[in-house]
Amino acid sequence: MTEADSPTWRVPPRWVLLVAVLSIVAAEVGGGAMARFKVELTRWARDAMLARPSVHGLVGVRDVDERILDEALVKFDAGLRLFHMHAEGMGLVIIATSMVAATVIRSAAARRTIIALLTAGGAGYPVGYLVWSALIPSCGLERAKTLAEWLVWVPFGSATIVALWCLAGTVAWSMMARRRT
Amino acid sequence: MSATVRRPPLAVVLVAIVMLALGETAGAAMSRLKPEIQRYATARVAANPGAHGFSGSAEYDDEVRERAIFTAEAGLSFFHLHGEGVGLVLFFASTLVAAVVPGRRARAALYLPLTLGGLFPLGYLVYGAAVLELGRDAGIELAERWILTPLGVSAIAGLAGLWLAMARRRA
Repeated sequence: MTEADSPTWRVPPRWVLLVAVLSIVAAEVGGGAMARFKVELTRWARDAMLARPSVHGLVGVRDVDERILDEALVKFDAGLRLFHMHAEGMGLVIIATSMVAATVIRSAAARRTIIALLTAGGAGYPVGYLVWSALIPSCGLERAKTLAEWLVWVPFGSATIVALWCLAGTVAWSMMARRRT
Repeated sequence: MSATVRRPPLAVVLVAIVMLALGETAGAAMSRLKPEIQRYATARVAANPGAHGFSGSAEYDDEVRERAIFTAEAGLSFFHLHGEGVGLVLFFASTLVAAVVPGRRARAALYLPLTLGGLFPLGYLVYGAAVLELGRDAGIELAERWILTPLGVSAIAGLAGLWLAMARRRA
């Protein structure tokens, strides 16, 4: 085989690349906003929590309440940071894995399904961290986590995991098929 | 304008995709199976009291147990993080090798260390398991000396080789 006819990558559909780049842009903006508006965000979350004392188990004793508020604010901040980190990473994962899928999966229906799962899962999963953070002040720590988990992390995370293992299986199958021919 | 980009061999792509899949799965397991993982870790520490240097003093033993479990969980967390990151590094670095390094032998010489380096995250799985079985210090020592360091050096060598190949091509 010469250099000229070495196997090449196929580019995934344009909408997939747009979603991936949008995810990376959102992560960058999120990271910048976290740093620039840290005080404002913390103040908003704190005020929202103080407006719902029963949701957070605030008892009106400063020593006790401050500890509860601090813990919730740490989680609120962690959610934003995890969104920043995961959206950047998953944007790249979408680009890499959809390129592999576009190149190695021969059946058009299977290729479209795997690419759709990889893209939706990869772009949707990090949003769960934003949802978690946004819900903490109004729903409390545990309820916010449960909602984010079942509305976003479980469905979108499962989509990515299933699609990735299917893709790994397809690549392994392609290798074996090439060896046989 | 459209350009074609050469791709690396499927074996290299497979390692990258499997690392990403393992990283994702570990992340989900860490979140969904946290109590089960902690229970398993506690049971393994209890099954290896000598390795963990238990003294019979409840206070001291509790502290040792907690540190060992924390370290094992950290191993799983590092595995999640590195599986995702190193999988992507292997994918993009090997694609660069395929696209810009001339000569089949030169490319093969870079694919090998890069792919071995792509297995680096597995060292953190060993790290977590070895801490539970051999004790914290001995477990970390084993994973670092025999897996993380050689595979990490391999990844660095592959990336340095890619950099040199690109620099030579430019010159």
